Amino acid sequence: MSRTWLAVLAAVVVLPMAVRHAIATEIWIFAIFGLGLNLLLGYTGLLSFGQSTFFGAAAYVAGYLLKHSAINVFLALAIGIAVGAVSAALVGYLCVQRSGLYFIMLTFALNQMFYFIAYQWTTVTGGEDGMPGIGRPALLAVDFRNPLAYYVFVAALFLLSLWIMKRIVESPLGKILQAIRENDVRAEAVGYDVPRFKLLAFVIGGAFSGLAGVLYAMLFGIVPLEAIGFVFSGNVVFATLIGGSGSLYGPIIGSFVFIWLSESVSVVWERWPLLLGVAFVIVVLFFRGGCVEAWARFWSWRERRRAPAGIAP
Amino acid sequence: MALLRTETLTKAFGALTAVNGVTLEVQAGTLHSIIGPNGAGKTTLFNLLTGQFPPTSGRIVFDGRDITRTPAHRIAHLGLARSFQRTNVFPALSILDNVWIAAFARGRSWRGLVWRRSDRYTEIVERARAALADVGLADKADQPAREISHGEQRQLELAIALAAAPRVLLLDEPAAGLSPDETQKMVALVRELKGRYTIVLIEHKMDIIMGVSDRVSVMHFGSLIAEGTPAEIQRNPEVRRAYLGGMVAE
Ligand SMILES: Nc1ncnc2c1ncn2[C@@H]1O[C@H](COP(=O)(O)OP(=O)(O)O)[C@@H](O)[C@H]1O
Ligand SMILES: [Mg+2]
Repeated sequence: MSRTWLAVLAAVVVLPMAVRHAIATEIWIFAIFGLGLNLLLGYTGLLSFGQSTFFGAAAYVAGYLLKHSAINVFLALAIGIAVGAVSAALVGYLCVQRSGLYFIMLTFALNQMFYFIAYQWTTVTGGEDGMPGIGRPALLAVDFRNPLAYYVFVAALFLLSLWIMKRIVESPLGKILQAIRENDVRAEAVGYDVPRFKLLAFVIGGAFSGLAGVLYAMLFGIVPLEAIGFVFSGNVVFATLIGGSGSLYGPIIGSFVFIWLSESVSVVWERWPLLLGVAFVIVVLFFRGGCVEAWARFWSWRERRRAPAGIAP
Repeated sequence: MALLRTETLTKAFGALTAVNGVTLEVQAGTLHSIIGPNGAGKTTLFNLLTGQFPPTSGRIVFDGRDITRTPAHRIAHLGLARSFQRTNVFPALSILDNVWIAAFARGRSWRGLVWRRSDRYTEIVERARAALADVGLADKADQPAREISHGEQRQLELAIALAAAPRVLLLDEPAAGLSPDETQKMVALVRELKGRYTIVLIEHKMDIIMGVSDRVSVMHFGSLIAEGTPAEIQRNPEVRRAYLGGMVAE
C-alpha cells in the first residue's frame, strides 16, 4: 500500500478524535463531492459551476423517501447516486456542446433553475425552511444515530469512493479525459467523440455528488435549501482549487481546509471567509496546483538544500 | 481504384473560396504530394478530408465509401490519420501517453474503458512504443510533451498519426519550422514510411518533395492547376508561373 493511502487511513482514524464527529463526517462527505467535481475540473478541464444541482437533487429525493417510507440505507444511497447521475446527464447534455465562459454560465444558470424549483415547491422541499426530519435507518444491528457509527460508515464509503475514482483516472477514460483537457481538437481528430466523453465525465461526477448529497442529508437530518444553491457549487470548486485540482488527492485536502475553516474558525471569527479569500489569492498567484503543489515544491526545495551537503567531501 | 478520391470538393469561408472544385485521386500505396504557396488551401483540403468541417459542396470517397460529412472522430476510426502543420499534441501528457491515446482510439473497443488500468493494454502500449521507435523518440517516452524541443514535437506529431495504424497518412508540412538539418532527418523519415503507408504529403517547399513523391498535385488559390510526376511538374510552365509569383526563392 502506498504512503498516500496510509496517510489517508491515518487521517480517517485520527480525525474523529481531533474534531467533533459531525465535522469529521462532513469532511469526508465534502471530499466525495470534491472527487466528483475534480473529474470534470482537474481531469477534463471543465469548470462546472453547478455541482450542487446533483448534490441537492439527490439529497431531496433520497431525503424524501427516507422521510416518507421505510427504505434501507443502501437503497437510499443507490437512489441518490442514480438521481445524481441522471440529473448530471441532463445538465451535461445541455452543456457539453458549449465551451469556455458559455459552458460555465450554463452550468450556473441550470443550477439556479433547479434552485428555484426547490425554492418554489414548498410542499415537497419545504422551500426556504428546508426539508427536516430525515432519519438514519439502522443497518443490520448498527444504529447510525450513534455519531461515531455514522462516521465510520461515511469514512468507509469515502475510502471506497476514493478507490473507485483512482481506478477511473488510471483507466483509459482517465487518459482520454486528460487528452480532451489538453487539446480537444486533437482528441477528436484521433477518434474520440469529445462531447460524449465530456457527458460521461458529467455522469460519473454527478453520481459522486449524489452519494455525497444523500450522506449529507442523513448527517444533518435536513436538506437545507442551500444544498442546491450556487454558493454550495462555488464552495466545492473553491475547496478543490485550494487543495489542488491537478491531483486525485487535492479535493480531499481542500475539503479538510474548507470544512475546518468554515466549522471551527467561523465560531470564533465571523469574518472567516476572508481567510478563504486570502488562501484563494495565494493559490491563484503562487500555487496553481493548490496545497498539493505547495507540498511538492516544499519537498523538492528541502531535497535541493540537502543535496549539496551530501556531495561535499 | 483510388483509395481516396474527392469530387469537385469546395469550401467557402464567406466570400473566400479556400478550396475550389478540387477533384483528386490518391492511389493505394503511393506517396502523393500536394504543393502550393501559403494560403493555397492545402490545409483546408486536409480539414475537409478528415471531417474537421463539412465541405460547401462536393464529395469525398474513401475506399469506395462516401465519407462526406462524416464527423472527425469517425473518420479517424476508418483509418485516415493526419498530422498537423502547427504542432497539435497533448502538452501535459507524457510522450508515450500522447501516442497511447491515438493507439487506443484505433483499437475500436471500449472494453475496460472506465476500469482497466491503461498500462495493462499490452498490445496498445506496444503499438504506441513502436510508433515512437519509428520516429526516433523511444527513449523520451516518459517526458511530458511540452518539455521536448520543437523538432522533437514535430516527430511526436507524426508518431501520433502513426500510432493510429492508418490506411492513409495525411502529413501537413511535417518539416514546418525545422532547421535544415532537422528537415533532412524528417525527409529521410518520410522516405522510410513510404511504401508502408499510402501517404498524402503537403509541402510548400518544392525541393523537399521532388525526391520522394510518386505523384504531385499543385494547388493555387484553392484550385488544382496541375498534376503529374515530379519531373512533369518541374517542367510545367503554369506551375513555374504560380511559383514565381509566390515563392520560388524558398
Ligand atoms: N477556418 C477558417 N476560416 C476562415 N478562413 C480560413 C479558415 N481556414 C483557412 N482559411 C483561409 O483559407 C485560405 C487557405 O488557407 P490554408 O488552407 O491554411 O492554406 P495553406 O495550408 O495552403 O497555406 C487562407 O486564405 C486562409 O486564411
Ligand atoms: Mg497549411
